[in-house]
Amino acid sequence: MDFFDANCFFGLPAIKMLKPCPTAGDLVSAMDRAGIGKALCWHVAQRDYCDVVGNKLLAEAIKPYSDRLYGCWSIVPPQTGEMPKPPALIDAMLDANIRALRAFVLPRKFVLGVPAFGDLFDLMFERQIPLFLPIIGQGGAGWQGAYDLLRDFPNLTCVICNCGDWGPDMLFRPLLEAYPNVYFEISEYTLDGGIEAFVKDYGASRLLFGTGFPAFEHGGPMLSIKHAEISEEDKCAIASKNLEQLLDWE
Amino acid sequence: MRRPRSLTRAIDCYLQGDLLTMKTDTPIRSDSALAAEFWEKGKSESCPIYDMHGHMGPFHSIYFPRCQPEAMAHSMDIAGVKLLCFAHHASLFVPELGNRPAIEAVLAFPDHFRAYVSINPHYPETIRKDIADYGRNSEVFVGLKFLADYHQVPISDDRYREALEFAQERSLPILIHTWRGSPCDGPEQVRKIAERYSKPKFLLAHSLCDDWDAATQLVKDFPNIYLELTAVVARRGVIPYFVQRIGSERLFFGTDLPWFDEHFYIGAVLSADITDDDRHNIFHRNAQKLLGL
Repeated sequence: MDFFDANCFFGLPAIKMLKPCPTAGDLVSAMDRAGIGKALCWHVAQRDYCDVVGNKLLAEAIKPYSDRLYGCWSIVPPQTGEMPKPPALIDAMLDANIRALRAFVLPRKFVLGVPAFGDLFDLMFERQIPLFLPIIGQGGAGWQGAYDLLRDFPNLTCVICNCGDWGPDMLFRPLLEAYPNVYFEISEYTLDGGIEAFVKDYGASRLLFGTGFPAFEHGGPMLSIKHAEISEEDKCAIASKNLEQLLDWE
Repeated sequence: MRRPRSLTRAIDCYLQGDLLTMKTDTPIRSDSALAAEFWEKGKSESCPIYDMHGHMGPFHSIYFPRCQPEAMAHSMDIAGVKLLCFAHHASLFVPELGNRPAIEAVLAFPDHFRAYVSINPHYPETIRKDIADYGRNSEVFVGLKFLADYHQVPISDDRYREALEFAQERSLPILIHTWRGSPCDGPEQVRKIAERYSKPKFLLAHSLCDDWDAATQLVKDFPNIYLELTAVVARRGVIPYFVQRIGSERLFFGTDLPWFDEHFYIGAVLSADITDDDRHNIFHRNAQKLLGL
């Protein structure tokens, strides 16, 4: 079973954590120890300091690992000119091996809505570029933020991530049912029987393996998937194939 | 998008003269026999799991696919969990039901479950009755459970006194929900009761989540304080931090089952930078010693 981590990061955070992962090289070493082949990653400076600077740091850092690490840039409204406007942004992403975008919402001073991001999200829908949306924790959009975003952009390919580990099913299931391109990343989805229930109700194609490393250990979601009471085909889909397909939008 | 193949990686490693760092066949970590066994089989013959912090039954706002005893027993079986010590949600939140649901579950599945007597400080008559009945249910109960944050009464409050005195008399385990900064069950509250009661075995559920220094200091200061790992075990670095400061002999594995998946938490312990010997302590030896098994 191959593992492709949908949600991990590196860099030294502004608020000290017990065991950070300082560099992209450290991330790759940790992946090797755990048996994870590839990862979609971001740089902690995107969250803690400045999306634009963090995006640059990410692109530079992952260059030597282009067959293992794929980047996830974070977005700010293009109206201030700090980020390229949508068509140019996509070209820049392709040049830098950036395969997805994410939004750190709170406590930023912008609204993830049509006036700011309408053009970008239209293009993302057209090109099927996924937007990763953390919900809980630093930079999280909150559940209301996710509901508002998808109400305004119902066809956006949106990956709900960092859902918090205290029973989020009543919060994310309505989104899965209302919006056909919503995916769910499991780094913090620790519910007993949750993977099985998800697959039974929705199939396995919209579930993504993610670890939240280095905030969380690799082994939790790995062992959960390995021994989930679902088919081997579904396990492989969740562990890597779903994300491979999701990121294959070129 | 091309996928690099394992053969390609093997060749790269060889060319870099780095055969020793090639990935092994055991994911999670290659230096742990336990990790290999759990990866292959989902459980371990040599390492049964004792889960010291569980619940049972539904709860508002949370969807539980497996919260009834039979389904929970199944989850335990596939992960090699030999025993779950739990406090039924109904016992904690429905005074008119009291501890009856827990007793019924244990009697129905005696090979899987033991229960804590849920102590609700708002109902002293119930506490008295449950304490009086404790001996009659000795095959069911292993100790007491305090959920002070939810009942909104500090654990040092007089309303817990009878329960604490009972535990003192019998040297009982008390699983206490704890959390950083809580006025009801934060570190100051734990210290207050530990100073008064030397015989109960205080298992700090959630290890004072996020206040790791206070948690380890309390363990150092009081021989009857232990740390239970529910909801913290997956946070990278916490377990090695604890082991480095206080060893692994006073750490207990717990999952809040049915809230959290046994395999998820087992996998997190396997990932942690500790030894297999530490893992054995956390997964079963400490609990077996505590429970006299």
